[in-house]
Amino acid sequence: MTPAAKRILIVDDDRDFVEATQAFLEANGFTVLRAHNGRDGVKLARMERPDLILMDIMMDERTEGFFTIQEMRRQEDLKGVPIFVLSALYAQMPDFGNPPDRAWLAHDEFLSKPVDMVQLVEKIRQRIGQPA
Amino acid sequence: MGEAAAPETVVVIDDDYAMRLSCCKILSKMGFRVEAFEDGTRGLEGVGRLKPGLIVVDLKMPGISGIEVISRVHEIDPQITIVVITGYATIDTAVEAMKCGAYDFLPKPFSPDELRLIVNRGLERRRLSLESQQCEIERALLKRRFVTFVSHQLRTPLVAIHQYLDVLKHLGDTADVAAKREEWIDRCLKRAEELQSLIADWLTLARVEGGTLMKERIKVDLSQLLPGILKTYEEMAAAEGVSLQVALPEAPLCVGGDWNCLTVLFDNLITNGIKYNRPGGKVTVAGWLSEGEVVVTVADTGVGIPEKYRPFLFDEFFRIKDDGAKKTTGTGLGLHISKRIVSEMGGSLDLESEPGVGSTFRVRVPAWHEADSAITGSSE
Repeated sequence: MTPAAKRILIVDDDRDFVEATQAFLEANGFTVLRAHNGRDGVKLARMERPDLILMDIMMDERTEGFFTIQEMRRQEDLKGVPIFVLSALYAQMPDFGNPPDRAWLAHDEFLSKPVDMVQLVEKIRQRIGQPA
Repeated sequence: MGEAAAPETVVVIDDDYAMRLSCCKILSKMGFRVEAFEDGTRGLEGVGRLKPGLIVVDLKMPGISGIEVISRVHEIDPQITIVVITGYATIDTAVEAMKCGAYDFLPKPFSPDELRLIVNRGLERRRLSLESQQCEIERALLKRRFVTFVSHQLRTPLVAIHQYLDVLKHLGDTADVAAKREEWIDRCLKRAEELQSLIADWLTLARVEGGTLMKERIKVDLSQLLPGILKTYEEMAAAEGVSLQVALPEAPLCVGGDWNCLTVLFDNLITNGIKYNRPGGKVTVAGWLSEGEVVVTVADTGVGIPEKYRPFLFDEFFRIKDDGAKKTTGTGLGLHISKRIVSEMGGSLDLESEPGVGSTFRVRVPAWHEADSAITGSSE
């Protein structure tokens, strides 16, 4: 028996983005869970405790992602689950690339959209190890 | 946020014991949490602590006057509704109180029904104004972040397209992808279309801001224009399960305007009608001549537009964000642009809507007179 596949939760309101990313991650041996808004994201994360979370920031034109990350960080049962931010915001706000204050931003990695899928998978593997 | 939550708090401030007692009795029976105070000082302390939605205050009290209570309460929270109680002799003071921001006044003696009515109305007004304020804040925020907002809107479809292409390229011919290739390409095309229409909207807006939306004012027959526009939306309507209906007179229905602008106007109204509809619903476009005006209505059978959103409906960037409504795409500019077009034609655009039943947008513009052809430009 191979060990169970690593599980990635994608929280993003753009279904096309999720669809494409999911396909690539699955092709690389990950199991993918998806949520289309922050509230469902937190719910699903707590229910399933994924190995890693990919989080969009500007959902429904709001910076919902920031609050979702904070909410997730408050959850005891999600302690230690890495959160990667995937956002097109980076171009406007380069600060996000290098969080000066982890307590505020609280994510583990920032990837600018469009995301280089190969690089994304590499970074995920570095963080949580090779999937089966 | 409604009745299921904690009951609304109402504060009564009156030096008359009997009045306090009866107000408390009536208001408690209505389901409110009621607290009464015998003078302004104690009342204000209570207001700061209890954060009531509404205050009933007597104008003539020893110590701090009712008028002063009003202004001090509004310093604590301008959204608290204040109802003033006053004797007949002080109607002038009541008027002054209204000027200071009281919502309404009740002359003594009043019946329990009068109190109930005024309190209910006051709280309803407060609810609407709180909701409106929320909308206003969000919209202002959006405006301030204009550049971020626009680039995010434009970038989102681009990112989706990029991501599909990236995955298609990397995964090549694996079986999983082969099955999905066609669907993904379709999605890419759809998102590219979305991008096109966003850009078109932004360009139109740029022209609106420049103040030159209408390039010309020529005779346009809506009896010809409208069926043509409807035809272009048959496919979109069918995809949403919505039928398109038209009720136009045989005779020409002529207005003076710009063909392109009129097309943008009815495009916006008709697509809204389709988008905010329900499967099996319909969009009806009707037009007629009425006292020198051409009236066109675009009616849908959709979710309707809640009252709280109506003051903002024609503002730029405003979009309804309700769980009941479908996920919306677009710039939030359609109705704003539409209103500007109609105004430039010297007409009006307004709305009748009933939540759950549907919305009707009504365009009224002056009918074309042959004499107009001699006039160049508008001179009103």
